[in-house]
Amino acid sequence: MPGNVLTLSRAGGAPARSVVATGMLLPFGVLYALFLVLPSLYALVMSFFQTSLVRPGLSDFAGLDNYRQVLTSGDFWASVGHTVLFTVLTTPPLVAIALLLALLADRLRHGRWVYRLVFFAPYVLPSTVVFLIFSWMYTPGIGLIDGYLARVGGGPISWLTDPRLAMAAVVLMTVWWTLGFNFVLYLAGLQDIPRELYDAAEVDGARRWHQIWSITVPLLGRTTTLVAVLQVIASLKVFDQIYLLLGGGPNYATRPAIEYIYDVGFTSYRVGYASAVAVVFFLIVLAISAVWFRIVRRQEREA
Amino acid sequence: MAVIERTQQAAAPARAGADWATRLFDLACIAVVTVLALVWIVPLAWAVDTSIKPEAATTVLPTTWFSATYTLDAYWQVLSGSAIAHWYVNSAITSALITVSTVLFASMAGYALSRVPFRGRGVVLWVILAGIMVPGQILIVPLFLEVDALHLVNTYWAVILPQVATPIAVFIFKQFFDGIPRELEDAARIDGASWFRVYRSVWLPLARPAVSAVAIFAFVWSWNNFLWPLVTVTSTSMMTIPVGLGTVQGAYGIHYAEVMGSAVLGGLPLLLVFLLFQRQIVAGIATTGLK
Amino acid sequence: MVRGTLTRRRFLAGCATAGGALAASACGWPAQGFGLAAPSGGVLTYWNLFGGGDGVRMVAMQDAFGRQRPDISLDATTLTWGNPYYTKLSMATLGGAPPDVAIMHLARMPQLAPAGLLRPLSDDELARHGMSAQDFAPNPWQQSHSNGRLYAIPLDTHPFTLYYNTDVGRKAGLLADDGSLLPLTSPGALLAAFDAARRVTGQFGLAISTANDPATPWRAFLTFYTQLGGEMLRDNGAGVVFDRAHALTVLEFLRELTIGRSLAPSNFDYGSTVALFASQGAGFYWEGEWEVTTFQTARIPFDMAPFPAVFGRAAIQADSHSFVIPRLEHDDPERLDRALIFIRSMLDQSQTWAEGGHIPAWRPTLDSAAYRALKPQAHYASAADSVVYDPPAWYSGSGSDFEVAMGSAIAAVMNGTLGPAAGADQMLAALERLAGTASPV
Repeated sequence: MPGNVLTLSRAGGAPARSVVATGMLLPFGVLYALFLVLPSLYALVMSFFQTSLVRPGLSDFAGLDNYRQVLTSGDFWASVGHTVLFTVLTTPPLVAIALLLALLADRLRHGRWVYRLVFFAPYVLPSTVVFLIFSWMYTPGIGLIDGYLARVGGGPISWLTDPRLAMAAVVLMTVWWTLGFNFVLYLAGLQDIPRELYDAAEVDGARRWHQIWSITVPLLGRTTTLVAVLQVIASLKVFDQIYLLLGGGPNYATRPAIEYIYDVGFTSYRVGYASAVAVVFFLIVLAISAVWFRIVRRQEREA
Repeated sequence: MAVIERTQQAAAPARAGADWATRLFDLACIAVVTVLALVWIVPLAWAVDTSIKPEAATTVLPTTWFSATYTLDAYWQVLSGSAIAHWYVNSAITSALITVSTVLFASMAGYALSRVPFRGRGVVLWVILAGIMVPGQILIVPLFLEVDALHLVNTYWAVILPQVATPIAVFIFKQFFDGIPRELEDAARIDGASWFRVYRSVWLPLARPAVSAVAIFAFVWSWNNFLWPLVTVTSTSMMTIPVGLGTVQGAYGIHYAEVMGSAVLGGLPLLLVFLLFQRQIVAGIATTGLK
Repeated sequence: MVRGTLTRRRFLAGCATAGGALAASACGWPAQGFGLAAPSGGVLTYWNLFGGGDGVRMVAMQDAFGRQRPDISLDATTLTWGNPYYTKLSMATLGGAPPDVAIMHLARMPQLAPAGLLRPLSDDELARHGMSAQDFAPNPWQQSHSNGRLYAIPLDTHPFTLYYNTDVGRKAGLLADDGSLLPLTSPGALLAAFDAARRVTGQFGLAISTANDPATPWRAFLTFYTQLGGEMLRDNGAGVVFDRAHALTVLEFLRELTIGRSLAPSNFDYGSTVALFASQGAGFYWEGEWEVTTFQTARIPFDMAPFPAVFGRAAIQADSHSFVIPRLEHDDPERLDRALIFIRSMLDQSQTWAEGGHIPAWRPTLDSAAYRALKPQAHYASAADSVVYDPPAWYSGSGSDFEVAMGSAIAAVMNGTLGPAAGADQMLAALERLAGTASPV
């Protein structure tokens, strides 16, 4: 086989390259086509029908009815709002606190690995484990938080029943869970900053905190871009934590868009409609990601 | 490797004569981050603490870290009363296979997209990039219908196959290969080696950081995947850990020690993996980040 | 360093593969997982949603069946309570790989039967295994039919009940000489009783769950609403007959309990409510009867009573567990027989099941002396005569969209987030939305 390829490549190149490229792309390509492209296309098709989870086939043709219903659905737009709110509430802390912790931890000469371990360990836990732990901490009356509050004379906090506190509860849980990833990214970015810059600044008489402000932070621009973009894209897809901790409640007050799709498709069996919702939401995510990416890139270039 | 060198560099002792203000500043920083680290440990510590208390002690008021007695009862209950041993094995098997396959297939695809100029490369790249945007959850229903048609429901294949086609893994490999100078490849090819031989003996070894990164991501993501296995696995004995834990949480009533015990057991495997592979994981994330 | 990394990873990968291969060859389930071994014939697959105390009890009953019929191999799976259970059941049936027998809440009949997911059962088939209409309590038996045909075999009825702490009750002067609860016949009497209880416990009079649990508030609401004579749906869910005035009365009463007079906690979830009653922080507890074993294990002095009819007629929200045979493309008489043998065995063990609090639907047990002697079960068995199931509709039933929509609004009123008028409006809006959606079944 190597011999044949050699002959072909001597002969001209283009056919050989295609063969090689196809060969190397095939395994991934087949799985990708089967398990990502095909379902996406099928979802697109289903969105034009009143497909039901409990009836075989595509059922009645609905034309644009599903899309009309999505765009006028208060529940849908509310759920998009919740997703966006979640993203807006989690991204700044997940970026800023991670940066702050990385800067602080950078002051250490030894034992940095301990801090890395503590902050990153939650990231490897499954969402269910994190949910179980926080659900227990948030348990009214006998949970850790209410328990401590009782000691200092405060009343129990209605984490799970007050709509505003419920979102805060999920945000808190998410920050604890995923901050470690950004923290590690920032630590790596900090390593990349050449020591000479600090030494030069030291010679000029700049204080440590001034060095951080004028050298470190600006040079972390690229890392911050990456962190910010990844964070927004991940947050827009939120489902696990809110579904597990609150079931989208209280009274649907925190239900994110992905859970709306799940509810409509699985709980109400309306798969055609759910597909239309999915398509619309996908376009929204695409738009937000594209705009955000452009904004952040421009900020980075200006900095 | 470079990252590790630099870590050692940065850890070199401060210049002799650094004044007290700088040292004080450093100490303050370390104090703050230590306090925050202690706060960060609280949830896990609390979970472990609850899990080793007798059940009655968990709901006592006022809440306290201390208990008159400590016991591993909750763990025995969980291990004997639930199918957690099954879940461990299922998660291990599916995640291992997904990791190996993802690394293999994605590195090949990434290499082709980076190093093999072929017609339509741009289009293929865009199709793969678009896949990164698609939230997996919206595909749950059509994916299930498809897996069902292939008679694969409630098998490992149903869990494994859709998770191997991860576009971001291809992207990571492509970015990595892009960053390697052409000269290395041209040198190898002049020796008359075929594309595949070049790939196997030159690129793959060079790609260790990317392999490391993708392997770790694939393993952690597949292990922690909740929604897809939830939908596609029907019997308790076939569940993966996140799904299994999600089903037992309703089953214990006021047995919080048992619930926390199951949470600790559920998180343990990956925590151990992290402890063993810390450096590789960190290097992997750093590599991805810097590219 | 680098070489070490690779060796370690290779080692682990090797272990994983070896482990997998070993497991696949040695044990059954990974082999099945790889599709290498098909589930053997003669195996009876059974799905249920019983966790906690119910789960333990069901497992004991399954074990007894195993000893009784060692020739039938039982493969039982427990799935989470709630909507995902019915989604899985539906999809599995559609996909042609359903379990041989499954548990179903009877309130889900209007959804699963018209969808063609259940196999109807004939009198002959039941008679072959010694079951007939007379062997079952009338209410659940009626609910087991859809369009005149029988689709389920009822196991129990589980009504909403009133638990009360006998110590607290005695100290509050609410008990009769024989230790039973003095009748509470008006909303005012109920409030006064809870108030007296609160003064004894120092914390709350009533324990009720309202956080992350739409089901409990819904059950309380439907009970009182039906007592007032209200109805919600007509024509199998196609039309709405919501009585806003009655709904407002109930919502205001519920709000009075939690926010108005702080007789009950306004933000406790299911677990903390159970803990509250078990630690004797509340004198009364409202929930289905299935927690009886929890409190017996906690060794607190308690008893149970049928839910009080304070708004007029007697009505108590309930649902029933039943056994159903999911429909297969090609009917298999052997499969049906195995399933019916299993079902009969479960019914014969209704006494065990009743010890978990449920009221048996199987008359030989219901009418037996052994059941009548069960305390506190005997004290609320009369509730079976006034049960009201969830309004029939394709979107209704335990854990359904309907229950969540209704329950969320009611819970919000009890949490204090929504006013009663706003709550009633939200319920009406949700009902109209659901009724107006084309049925996917």
